[in-house]
Amino acid sequence: MPGFASGSADDTSRGAALVPVSTEPHPPAVYPLHLGLKPPISRLSISWSRGNTLRVSAFRQTTSVTKNSGEEIGGKVVEVRLSSSGDGEVSDAQWRRIEYGSVVPFALLQSRRNSVLSLSKMAIDSTPYNVEWLEYVMEYSKDINSLLGSSKLPPDSVIADPNKFLKIGEEPTCLKAAWELMEMFYAEKMFQAWLPERLVDWLADYDSLLSSTQLTVHSKLVNFQKELFSLQVIEDNPRYWEVLSSALAVGWLEIVVKMLRLHGSYQLDQLGKRETENGLVEAVAVLISKMPRLRAKIDGGKLGEVFKAKPDFIKAWEKWRGQITKLECSSFWIQCSHPQTREGLKNMLQIMLGNINSLRTATCNWIELYISHFLYIRPFTVGLESMYSLAQKCMLSKPMFVPHRLIGLLLGILGENTEVVLAECSDGFGPWMVTHAIELLTTASDQAEILLHEERYNLGGISVEELHRLVYAQVLSSHALTWQIAPIYLISCMKQGMGLLEILLYKQPLQHNQLLLKNLEICRLYELDNVGSNIMKIAGVNHWKHGRKGSGVFWLQQAEDEVCLNRIAQQLFDSVGKSISDESFKQWEGLIELLGSESKTSGGLEFLHKYRDFKKSLKQVHDGKITDTARQAVESLMMLMRNPSTPQRFWLPLLFDSLKLLSWWERPLLNVSQTNLLLNKLQELSLARLRPDFIKSDLPPDALNAVRLALATNLGRAILEEQ
Amino acid sequence: MAITEPPTPQIHRLQQSSYLDAVRWLPPLSAFDKTAALALYDADTATSSLEVHSLTPQNSLTSQSRWTPPSRISSLRTSNSSLLAASTFSGSLHILGYDGSGLEPQGSIGEVGFHVGCVSGVDLVDDGSECVSVGEDGRVNLVRVVGDSSRLSHRRVFDGNGLVGFSAVKWASPTEFFTGGFGFNLKFWDLRKPGAAVSQFKGNWNRGKTSGIVHSIDIHPSRKHTCLAGGSSGTLFAWDLRWQQQPIILSGARTGEVATHSVSESEVWEVQYDRYTKPSNIGNISSSRILPAMMCSEDGILAVVEQGEEPVELLAEPCAINSFDIDRHNPADVICSLEWESVVIVTRP
Repeated sequence: MPGFASGSADDTSRGAALVPVSTEPHPPAVYPLHLGLKPPISRLSISWSRGNTLRVSAFRQTTSVTKNSGEEIGGKVVEVRLSSSGDGEVSDAQWRRIEYGSVVPFALLQSRRNSVLSLSKMAIDSTPYNVEWLEYVMEYSKDINSLLGSSKLPPDSVIADPNKFLKIGEEPTCLKAAWELMEMFYAEKMFQAWLPERLVDWLADYDSLLSSTQLTVHSKLVNFQKELFSLQVIEDNPRYWEVLSSALAVGWLEIVVKMLRLHGSYQLDQLGKRETENGLVEAVAVLISKMPRLRAKIDGGKLGEVFKAKPDFIKAWEKWRGQITKLECSSFWIQCSHPQTREGLKNMLQIMLGNINSLRTATCNWIELYISHFLYIRPFTVGLESMYSLAQKCMLSKPMFVPHRLIGLLLGILGENTEVVLAECSDGFGPWMVTHAIELLTTASDQAEILLHEERYNLGGISVEELHRLVYAQVLSSHALTWQIAPIYLISCMKQGMGLLEILLYKQPLQHNQLLLKNLEICRLYELDNVGSNIMKIAGVNHWKHGRKGSGVFWLQQAEDEVCLNRIAQQLFDSVGKSISDESFKQWEGLIELLGSESKTSGGLEFLHKYRDFKKSLKQVHDGKITDTARQAVESLMMLMRNPSTPQRFWLPLLFDSLKLLSWWERPLLNVSQTNLLLNKLQELSLARLRPDFIKSDLPPDALNAVRLALATNLGRAILEEQ
Repeated sequence: MAITEPPTPQIHRLQQSSYLDAVRWLPPLSAFDKTAALALYDADTATSSLEVHSLTPQNSLTSQSRWTPPSRISSLRTSNSSLLAASTFSGSLHILGYDGSGLEPQGSIGEVGFHVGCVSGVDLVDDGSECVSVGEDGRVNLVRVVGDSSRLSHRRVFDGNGLVGFSAVKWASPTEFFTGGFGFNLKFWDLRKPGAAVSQFKGNWNRGKTSGIVHSIDIHPSRKHTCLAGGSSGTLFAWDLRWQQQPIILSGARTGEVATHSVSESEVWEVQYDRYTKPSNIGNISSSRILPAMMCSEDGILAVVEQGEEPVELLAEPCAINSFDIDRHNPADVICSLEWESVVIVTRP
């Protein structure tokens, strides 16, 4: 089982574990069962069913259900679903939706990888992964990302509530946040210079997720938003200024500007009295909205001036800081009569100037502090190494006491530690995440690619990548609705995929034709003809045993299972052909129709087919006295008797049935050689009687003699006629 | 080939959170009303349900009514008179009425002697008075749907004792119907001639070792002599009672002789005559020409196939399309159920 290859015994650190298995003790879970059975229950059997469900079978004492209590149930089987491994953030149905949706991007990327690799083999000098490849990976990443929910906020309503500065859209998920982190670090490799700003956006989208374990700027804003309606004079409240500087520190400029405009000095009745104050507030708001930003583009509604290239940005940045310094030194501050406003605004200017102490106070945890560094102190940070050292510095300054899975992942990425990233993905987000994230990780660096693709002895010769795909395929296989997509992942596993795929296909239930056909379709797609025909054989026997003889024969024929078909033919002989007038024979017609005329696939059933023809013509002979039909019947008889597939024990009944033909009233129907052949068969039969394995037919005891007499008479008549 | 691209149909995907065993349109109760019946199966709890959903103008489905069958639904049909017939994997048949407010069970039958195991196909007569059911057990039963009896009575038309198995059934007239089964077998039955099928088609055309199963059949009301059938290996063919032993192959079935357009290579799960697509040369349409048909397949194709024409694909999905239904009253609308727990509504221009 790949699931247990979670590192050797001496390797206890989480970073090195390939598939982390939590060793913490859990409280036992209790699942109440409702069997609806009267005690006593004599036997209880528990076994694994599909996935993480247990099958519990309970049987009552058999003696109590024997006689009168026929209506009572003798036992019951229930399935118990053990709690899902998910964290509740994503429901089971949503998970399946993600699993379905990721099939196409994954398969597309695999086929592109194969074609890129085969191309690079032809060209001697080129690296396997080029710009074109990065585009493919980016496309893949975007496709997967879109499955994880949309991050877009709902559009502004026409009448916007002026007091509502915080827009709450669809609840973001950690899964999406984690994917976006990896996307920006691994897939968007060409845009390294914009990485800091990407992180700013990322935090803006997902800061709320961190609120679950600690205080964040987002949670501060949410709380203040609730308070807002009870506040009379907003600028007197110290929380207003605190929240403002916090939001500014993490760069949520549009929120800051919107909040600043809530300042009392904007109110028409106060504008006259507080002109200077209002001027200062507005000046800060304008400065904030003019902040230069080193990024590709800016989404609608967000503030700042975009600079794509570094030189332009530096110029603008210096100019902007100059304006801030100028404002800070202006004389208007003395004229500002409102102390809270003065202090609050000045603090905001300090944040914009990158005063480390102001930033430290304004932010709630190290990641926010880290982001504020990118915004106001080191906007040119490039390269993972310097980003990592900055992160460590921030962590020391404002440590987080409760770990969060997103933070763990981010640290792994910044630390360029592929094992940690894998472990965090697997631990925090499960096998789906690892399997799909590996595609991004392999493009991260050559080392990562080697690490993931290297075949490992301790994993039984498979690579880490393959291991995780196999684990994910197992998860998919364990659910009745997702097993069909497991093959996509299994066939991308070079070493063990095919073997596991065969096991998966064999294990599928096949009572229902639709499922069976879906299973066979997968066999056809992957050219597993052998597996397919075995499955058909299993299905055939299953149908046969359950009385659906027609379906059984159909599937066995499809599987070309001669052995089984012959055995079935034997069974049929036992019930067919006891006598011509037997009405039950009519029922076999349908089955024989089904067998078709192709003798090769129907094995021993070929006999039945001919036997049917013979009986049909024989019946016509009994009805009327037409020599032509009688002649036809004789032809069928001769064919049956000549055919080696006709069982010996049928010879006598056949001949006995044809007594009328043998002594035809008009003229002999069999010629000399034909009669001789039949006589020989009869002789053989007499000898066989002496053998111990001879099966006696339930014909009258003088049947043999009657046939012999008829044949002898016919022989005489035939000789006479031929002369 | 036409030079101008035809206007593309609108496609709406509606993700569900359980597996869809069947989808059918229900006759509209008012002019702008669209309702559909969905047979759902929740694999996590192993429960199935039959739900009526109304389709809002924004193309989302809202559940109106719900009924719980004893087991998974194997076949679902609706009649013009707002009646639904649902058969189950456990061998029962249920008749339900829908009046806009809720699903009203009208009666059910599932006793020993009805069917053994899965009822693979049902069909209602247009006025909803009679229902025919077939199963893999080889039985053909006729169920009379009378007003308000909670237990329906049935009459055995044929019992194949498991020697033959049926997978599809469709009325041609109130007394005649067709069945489809294993080995590409089609049978034509007439209730006035009891005992056995009136005529049957053996699918022994020249195709090597492989045979197949007919999964779905359809009869056009104006051509009761022709049975349209879809089944294994992408086979779509028609059987005309007037030319009994020669199938008219519309798609698939590697015949070797005639080059037919093959839409799919895997199972054709459902076929229906497409009343929306007009035959291209309407002027000289003879009664031997097969009318346009729609099919869906395991490899995710929903296409309109016309005899001798290039097939038109409406959908090409990454997963199987298990069933579809064309709205009788507005044939531009098609509802499909996909393997990956979703419904797709195709609205043709």
